[in-house]
Amino acid sequence: MSAAATSRKRFAWTRRVSATASNKAQKMHVHYRDDLRLFPNRLRRAALAVMILAWAFIPVLWDVAPFTLLSGNGISLNTLAYAGVFSIAAIGLNLLTGYTGQVSLGHSVFLAVGAYSTAYAGSVWGWPMWLWILFAPALGWLVGAAVGPFALRLRGNYLVIVTLGLVFIGEHIFRNWKSVTGGNTGTSAAGVEVKLGFIDFENLSLFGKSFGKDESYFWLIWLLVALVAWLTKNVVRTRPGRALQAVRDQDIAAEIIGIDVGITGYKTQAFAWSSAIAALAGALYAPLQLFISPGDFTLLVSIQFIAMIILGGMGTIYGSIIGALVITAMPRLIDGISADYGVPGVAAKSTDSGLVSIASLNVIIYGFLIALFLLVEHRGLAGIWVRIRNYFSTWPFSY
Amino acid sequence: MTTFLQATFDGVATGSLYALIVLGFVVIYRATGIINFAQGGALLLGGYITYNVSTSWGGNYFLGIIFSVAVCAGFSVLLQRAMLQRIFREVVGISAGLLGWAALFYNGTTHLVGLIGGVVIGVLAYLITARIEARVGDRGPSELPLFGAIMVTIGVLFIIKQVAASIWGFAELSVDDPWELSTSVVGDVVLQHSKLAAIAMAAVALGVFFVVDRYSRIGIAMRATHFDHEAAIAQGISTKIVFATAFAIAGGVAALAGSAATAGPELITPNLDFVVFLAFPAMILGGLDSPAGAVAGGLLVGWIQNLVKTYVATTPAWFPIEDLDWLGAGFERVAIFIVMIIVLMVRPYGLLGTEEVRRV
Repeated sequence: MSAAATSRKRFAWTRRVSATASNKAQKMHVHYRDDLRLFPNRLRRAALAVMILAWAFIPVLWDVAPFTLLSGNGISLNTLAYAGVFSIAAIGLNLLTGYTGQVSLGHSVFLAVGAYSTAYAGSVWGWPMWLWILFAPALGWLVGAAVGPFALRLRGNYLVIVTLGLVFIGEHIFRNWKSVTGGNTGTSAAGVEVKLGFIDFENLSLFGKSFGKDESYFWLIWLLVALVAWLTKNVVRTRPGRALQAVRDQDIAAEIIGIDVGITGYKTQAFAWSSAIAALAGALYAPLQLFISPGDFTLLVSIQFIAMIILGGMGTIYGSIIGALVITAMPRLIDGISADYGVPGVAAKSTDSGLVSIASLNVIIYGFLIALFLLVEHRGLAGIWVRIRNYFSTWPFSY
Repeated sequence: MTTFLQATFDGVATGSLYALIVLGFVVIYRATGIINFAQGGALLLGGYITYNVSTSWGGNYFLGIIFSVAVCAGFSVLLQRAMLQRIFREVVGISAGLLGWAALFYNGTTHLVGLIGGVVIGVLAYLITARIEARVGDRGPSELPLFGAIMVTIGVLFIIKQVAASIWGFAELSVDDPWELSTSVVGDVVLQHSKLAAIAMAAVALGVFFVVDRYSRIGIAMRATHFDHEAAIAQGISTKIVFATAFAIAGGVAALAGSAATAGPELITPNLDFVVFLAFPAMILGGLDSPAGAVAGGLLVGWIQNLVKTYVATTPAWFPIEDLDWLGAGFERVAIFIVMIIVLMVRPYGLLGTEEVRRV
């Protein structure tokens, strides 16, 4: 067979494949609206349905067969609730760092603002839930809007260090404003009422069945995760989000094309909204944790949030959630596995001998994951997923 | 007046430590544009190695300092190779060797078997990684966003801190140094000998650095690289060697600072790396890319910190507010951050730093 014939044959085959591909699924976007749709194809809509079903049934089915793999190894519903709280905070950080390009090590401070204000308003003032759950983000927004213009006058490295200073100043305040925060020992949030109208999340009864705190908090928190994710997604796929991304990519150019980066401009607003979202997470953190102290809001916590968004994927909403799930679940999983089976060199209890304690191992793994992902795939798990998806969506021409 | 002089002396002692730490930051920043948080790790390792040499290994304190400076300089260069050039063979080899040695040791083998096994495992890991890297090929310069590199160094800091905590524990350990608690009294000011020694060590190190930076070949090469990276390469300067030197200097001065910070009455714990965070205001005040600024900023911040500490504890008579206890314990550490923020609001590039000119 001549070379020309081979080439012709291969060309024909190419055309046939691409024709079937375009008939099978309408991948071509013909309108701007198509690009903006949240659930553009059947697969995404199916994923949405699966997520809704998971949300509704996971609390009921967590102790049943396939889930026991997780629930039997230290990942309880309570862990998932924590992961939800951290997902909210990580979405907030991703809005600021992933979309606007402003690195903040001060995120734990805003989590603390939400948590302490909820503990105080809920137990000392006795505010109902609908009030404190609005009050915390509002306060967080105000603090963020007050700090933002100062912090955002600076760029890059200087911003990292100023937000680092914010963590130390914040921690000092939490340790010393004893009448509100309880000082070093912390303050109790047990008196905070988690009750919306007739829905009492401490003691929920549905369809004649009563559920405990773990189940109802799961529903509440993950509902709010969905709400925050939806709102943030709407922000980032419309005009403000485009503006934020323009600021991230090149702030002077963004200013030239008419994006306001002044004192009340997009950077400060991103800072304020990111703080508000973190404070909302803090508001849920307080009743979940029941007792909060300055040790819960250290630099390490900020670093964990950074780890979440780096691991999950900067500049993606679902990446924040995946990152939060992995980073929250991992310590418990290590804990559960090493308690049950014993990992060589790891001391499960403080009395055991071993190379590292579990707490140390967890921190080492955070550090390692941050370094590994940044050096090998700095777009995170989301980046890996996009690569896999593109590989298959253009299959068999995967290059 | 005595109070003031005492605070000033203590401030200069603290400040000279800060100056050393900040010098490390500045040297790396000048060469690569990265703030290397892992300096805290070098500081910690330096302190602990000096501790080990001076106490359990039967050496003396100065031998410990020389040894820890050498180890931390080497460690810092490895970090640079892994982080900037993404060459992991040494890091993987050494970590695998240490892990293998530890695992064998914990499973009850003798020292000799553990050591030989560790070396064999390390060499194997090195060869395998080298093979893989050769196949993957040169990845070229890092495509990381700048903050990514900073985050990597934070990750490394956390790893080193926990590794140090696992090896040496969280207990406070006392370094066996020649000064212990001895003091001299001049006028009414108490001069702690360990603090005098810290000032002297810092002065010597800084003096050597400035001479090297100004007159030696490598110093000129480092400044040229900072001034214009590509022009430096065109003149035949090896930026690889410049980067490695910068990291080695930084690691060395951090180890020296770690050793000096734990001398005398001070104790060493894994939380020593906190000193590095306290040195950030000094770095900002001096400007990120100015070694002279590092010294000035370090001394200034050390001085401010000790003045605040002294005068918050005993409020002077002329001060309008009598009791400052509500500021809380450890306010001096926050005060320097507040000073830093105020300075940054007025001068966003520090007191002696160069303003960054950006292109669109």
